[in-house]
Amino acid sequence: MHFLLIVAALLAPLAALGAEEAYLAQLVARARELRLAERPEWRKLLHYEPDLIGGGLHGLLDNRDFYNSPQGKTRPQAELEATLASFFSDVEETPRLQNPQCAFIARRAWLDEELEFDPVRLPLRDCPRFREWHAALNAQHLTLVFASAYLNNPSSMYGHTLLRIDARDQDERTRLLAYAVNSAATTDEKNGLAFAIQGLIGGYPGTFSILPYYLKVREYSDLENRDLWEYELSLRPDELERVLRHLWELLPAYYQYYFFDENCSYHLLGLLQVARPDLQLTAPFRWWALPIDTVRAIAAQPGLVARTVYRPANATIIGARLGTLSEEERGIANNLSLGRIPSGDALRGRPGPRAAAILETSYDYVNYRRATGKPDVPDPARLARELLVARSELNVGSQAPAVDAGTRPDQGHATSRIALGAGRRDSQSFQELSFHPTYHEVMDPEAGYVRGAQIEFFDTALRHYADGKTRLERFVPADILSLSPRGDFFQPRSWRVAGGWHRSFVRNGSEPLVAFLDGGAGAAWSDRGGRSLFYALAETALRANRELDGGYGVGAGARVGAMADLAPRWRANAYVAGVNYFVGESDQPRAIGLQQRFTLGRDSALRFDLERRREAGRQFASGMLSLQLYF
Amino acid sequence: MKKLLLVISVAALFPTAAIAQNVGNCGWGSKLFDGQSGVAPQVLAVTTNDVLGNQTFAISSGTSGCTQDGTVKSNWKTALFIDGNKDALARDMSVGSGEALDSLALLMGVEAQDRDAFNRAAKSNMGRIFAKDATPEIMTALRQVLADNAQLARYTIAL
Repeated sequence: MHFLLIVAALLAPLAALGAEEAYLAQLVARARELRLAERPEWRKLLHYEPDLIGGGLHGLLDNRDFYNSPQGKTRPQAELEATLASFFSDVEETPRLQNPQCAFIARRAWLDEELEFDPVRLPLRDCPRFREWHAALNAQHLTLVFASAYLNNPSSMYGHTLLRIDARDQDERTRLLAYAVNSAATTDEKNGLAFAIQGLIGGYPGTFSILPYYLKVREYSDLENRDLWEYELSLRPDELERVLRHLWELLPAYYQYYFFDENCSYHLLGLLQVARPDLQLTAPFRWWALPIDTVRAIAAQPGLVARTVYRPANATIIGARLGTLSEEERGIANNLSLGRIPSGDALRGRPGPRAAAILETSYDYVNYRRATGKPDVPDPARLARELLVARSELNVGSQAPAVDAGTRPDQGHATSRIALGAGRRDSQSFQELSFHPTYHEVMDPEAGYVRGAQIEFFDTALRHYADGKTRLERFVPADILSLSPRGDFFQPRSWRVAGGWHRSFVRNGSEPLVAFLDGGAGAAWSDRGGRSLFYALAETALRANRELDGGYGVGAGARVGAMADLAPRWRANAYVAGVNYFVGESDQPRAIGLQQRFTLGRDSALRFDLERRREAGRQFASGMLSLQLYF
Repeated sequence: MKKLLLVISVAALFPTAAIAQNVGNCGWGSKLFDGQSGVAPQVLAVTTNDVLGNQTFAISSGTSGCTQDGTVKSNWKTALFIDGNKDALARDMSVGSGEALDSLALLMGVEAQDRDAFNRAAKSNMGRIFAKDATPEIMTALRQVLADNAQLARYTIAL
């Protein structure tokens, strides 16, 4: 009898083991029957994407422990079965280690929904770390935040997106306290070029992280002066829970970061689309994912965006403040912020609200210069404090003006452009077809884009002349231009970089496709109303083609112009440009031109360009009318 | 073992200063109470847009001590908020309103009926609260300002 009991006691765990195996087999059979591994929920939780060649799949996450099966990265079925098996693990949670049920809590929740785990044979474990994290977030809804373009950093030329987790105890006045979910390439690389190259070839791991939103606001609004747009998403509570559980799975994971397609914004969409089985956000972004296009994809989902909030950057607010000050008051604010006059003398006798407006502007301006690293006063912290103390002694409320938000970035023109044109050069007529995949030319309709910032990639044009030849007119991989007006308060530089191939006449009379690389630096000024912009750039130019003497040319020159919005839909740009090539083939090309654009609709515009040009001793005039469509 | 890990993680964040100062269990906080320019710049220094340094990894993975899996532990929230928002707080206090001031009031649990008094006290004592630049001194001064105010004295425990 005793003997039998002992045997039974020894066999009990084995029997339990057998029961576990039996139940696992039952779950696996049921999962196969339901074809769960083919369902969009599973595909999205594991971030499976179709292979470029062949009919296979691969998961985008690259750390091995994101998958439970050694074949998990390429085999959804194997991964699903290994995941079910892992849920029987008896690993206890420690600060460094989680039970698979907790580490893959979104997978567990979905599989439990579909397979209805028997709480006796597969008990759901408590996950204290997840529970505490979840409680600390106290999430009420999610907000997608778009930081506008920042030309001075290659990694953020197109803007950036992050996700904000809004807590129940916050409101619009206290959103600084929310947490932000950032998806980014992890690197200490400071060199923009090295970053760009590594980013293109997938040389960095991308990770998700959580940090207080106020740190991101400070970074964008105060240090980089980029406006933020916040898109509050209306997700049902169960949808919000799916995103949070999946975020928990992603926090320890990493992906290979690619600047153009598998970038931060793309992976943020990958996180968001787990909210609903039918939400497919990443699919259109197989080749490139511009942050603003990912915002559009979300704004285009019916009912997904509840409302938007505009958060102007410090420099934008200063601009709005300056608009409310008189010429004299601006002068005082400027002098105060440079510590040239004591505030008591300067403001004596002025009405409280005016004095307050001047002091607030001068403080914001000191802070702006401090944040952007312009050491033009000996002790900016002390000066800032003096201005604030003077302000605090005035018994009037805030004088900050409302800042005009303008057009929402998702409501600007679409980011690809095709143009059909017809024109004449001297006595020859031609037709032109041109295309650029991204993003914004300075003459394009400006609504929703950063003023004066041009980023054009892979601009390509084909031209057909009446005499029968069709030829490649230009292929310009990059053309970036930044025109920012200078004033008493802001003194930014304007600059341009462009490189590619375009047609030019050379001395032997032919017009080959010449490789070029141009760079320019200078300044721009605006009129008071901000409708006109005058600019002047000093330029250097390199060109190469075997038809040139010695095969190349090196030159220097200048470009000046005036750009004006003559009516809300009508922009004109008049320019004069010239280069002297003095090394290699020498030539002095000159150009004078007038470009005009009439906006027809959000995604269409008319362009009319006139130019008179001298090249290799040959003079000619050209004109072209074209229809531009954005898509 | 736990303590050793702690020392290693703090050391990884702030190679030399932290161990010597024996600053307790918060990576950010060690910088905070070091009297230096603050933790937020440290974080900012490694977060440029799309690019993060390894430090943020430590923060998000909870090894810096004052955070757990990326969320800030409740006893550090107010100090870290003040440290990360000094300029905005000083500006808001000087006008007596603003989102940084509202956020601070929420963190400190200032009730709706005391908000006006809180904002007024902050405005009229702005120079006193921001007499020094270091976060601990700002917190001490704010505590004294609240203690001097009968209506607000009960909020001193929140600092």
